[in-house]
Amino acid sequence: MKRKVINYAVAFFILLVLNFILPRLMPGDPLSAIYGEEVLVQMTPELKARLIERFALNKALWEQFASYILSLAKGDLGYSYYQNAPVSKVIFSHLPWTLLLMGLATVFSSVVGIILGIESGWRRGKLTDKTALTGMMVLSGFPSFFLGIVLLLFFAVALGFLPLQGAKTAYGKLTGGWFILDIFKHLVLPLTALTLAEIPANYLLTRNTMIINVREPFILTARAKGLSDSKIRYRHAGRNSLLPVVTRIGIKLGIIVTGALFVEIIFSYPGVGNLIYTSLLMRDYPVLQGSLIMVTVFVLLINLGVDLIYKKLDPRT
Amino acid sequence: MHIRYWEKLEKDPFGKTGLILVIFFAVLAAVAPFATQNPTAQTPLIFKPPSITHPLGTNDVGQDIWSRLVWGARTSFLVGLGVGVLSTLLATLLGASAALIGGWYEEVVIRTVDALLVIPTVILVILIAAFITPSIWLLIVVISLFRWQGGARIIRAQTLSLRKSMHISAAKSFGASTSYILFRHIIPDLGPILVVSFIYSCRMAIFMEAGLAFIGISDPSVISWGKMMHHALNFYYLDVWKWWLLPTGMALSAFILSFTLLSYCLEEAMDPRLGEGNA
Repeated sequence: MKRKVINYAVAFFILLVLNFILPRLMPGDPLSAIYGEEVLVQMTPELKARLIERFALNKALWEQFASYILSLAKGDLGYSYYQNAPVSKVIFSHLPWTLLLMGLATVFSSVVGIILGIESGWRRGKLTDKTALTGMMVLSGFPSFFLGIVLLLFFAVALGFLPLQGAKTAYGKLTGGWFILDIFKHLVLPLTALTLAEIPANYLLTRNTMIINVREPFILTARAKGLSDSKIRYRHAGRNSLLPVVTRIGIKLGIIVTGALFVEIIFSYPGVGNLIYTSLLMRDYPVLQGSLIMVTVFVLLINLGVDLIYKKLDPRT
Repeated sequence: MHIRYWEKLEKDPFGKTGLILVIFFAVLAAVAPFATQNPTAQTPLIFKPPSITHPLGTNDVGQDIWSRLVWGARTSFLVGLGVGVLSTLLATLLGASAALIGGWYEEVVIRTVDALLVIPTVILVILIAAFITPSIWLLIVVISLFRWQGGARIIRAQTLSLRKSMHISAAKSFGASTSYILFRHIIPDLGPILVVSFIYSCRMAIFMEAGLAFIGISDPSVISWGKMMHHALNFYYLDVWKWWLLPTGMALSAFILSFTLLSYCLEEAMDPRLGEGNA
């Protein structure tokens, strides 16, 4: 466990170093590389002096690094001159939408993937299993952003019964139930795209584990006890097939984050993914770096959490 | 583990389909200069629906979409193969050397592997690419630098167990030379792992190149499917998506699918517990 914590610390450190070094490797004025072009518009001699002071740019490299780490430790992610707001405030205003989208997609894709995997692995080699396996293979070929585009084109553009973009109707004065319905209508397409993209990995893993588990002696024992088919399938074989899926939630999170990034961009869903995209387009480096740090910290923390849960689930480790 | 790749691929419907698809795209990429018009030439014929001269119509600046689709296959292929070769090479080099040398060197490699495994790769690449808009070659290098950890971990474990395995001590006791053991035993034994890790890297790289190009991180001098899709999406309100956006997305998906099928087929061959029966 101690080893794992150190791994996460090393991973985080690598990211910090990259974040620190990259803007300073850029040719030209490091200030515009750190703050984006936007700062030059508002630049006054006083501001420049203050920023140089703030980043210790007139000092040695290691002192710059120290001041960078120190301000991060204080929770200061910098200031966005494009958005005219502190970076942390900008990110926190986008975070809820991403959490909503990713949380629901993780739950739905896990449930659907695991159930399909259990059923498919149980019927291994039969027609239903082969059909499901082929279908999942084809689905796994579609990148999340193309799935999103296809859904957008058919349901929002061609059929027109779901909204094209955003998370809620702009300037709408909806309240109560109508407000929730509005949010739900905007969520359906991005959520479906992300869920569909995540199902195959869960399905394949569960199916493989299920195939191996079904041949184990404890299944024979369960049969000998006269348990019903569905009880053996879910309580015995299925439950034991969950373990690798749970372990992978942490690793898969990185993939879901990436998927959410693309899906949010396609549906202009106002989450962190879309924020990363706009800050990339606008060369708003403070927001870009801040968002990437936040996302990585989030992924690392969840991984740590999964490790802790896993210890409880599987006492052998 | 010695696998007869060809036999396995021929017998397995997934493997066969994957192989046919890869060959199809390889041929497409190879004949690109002969089968197409100038993919970058702009003409006054904009937004034309499919016709005999333009099988997939033309885009907003009058470029032939079919030609761009075929040239895009080259970019995907190049990035896939490049990252596949480079990252597998890195994985083998670092994984095997860690197992053979041991000591603090092994510790450093393992630590780096573990740290890289938990960072979302795409995010790192976006961060780097935001500052240095990479050329296609630099992109291959950057993706490879963050794509070797998974392979290296497996290769190290496998080399460790191989070093002590029976057939290698047997070969040694018959007086086999080190190079004989290396080429007749260690490399064929690592073979399936190297092939699967190569295919995984190809798949991941093709997806990443398209994804990055889709969000605007791309070499301006190349034609990329991701860039085409992003460009086409701007005109979603016209009918052009039917022959511009959809074929491009389908091509990308089919290409990614072909690698998924191949890796699944080979993985099944490697895991005897999954390999029995007729799945």
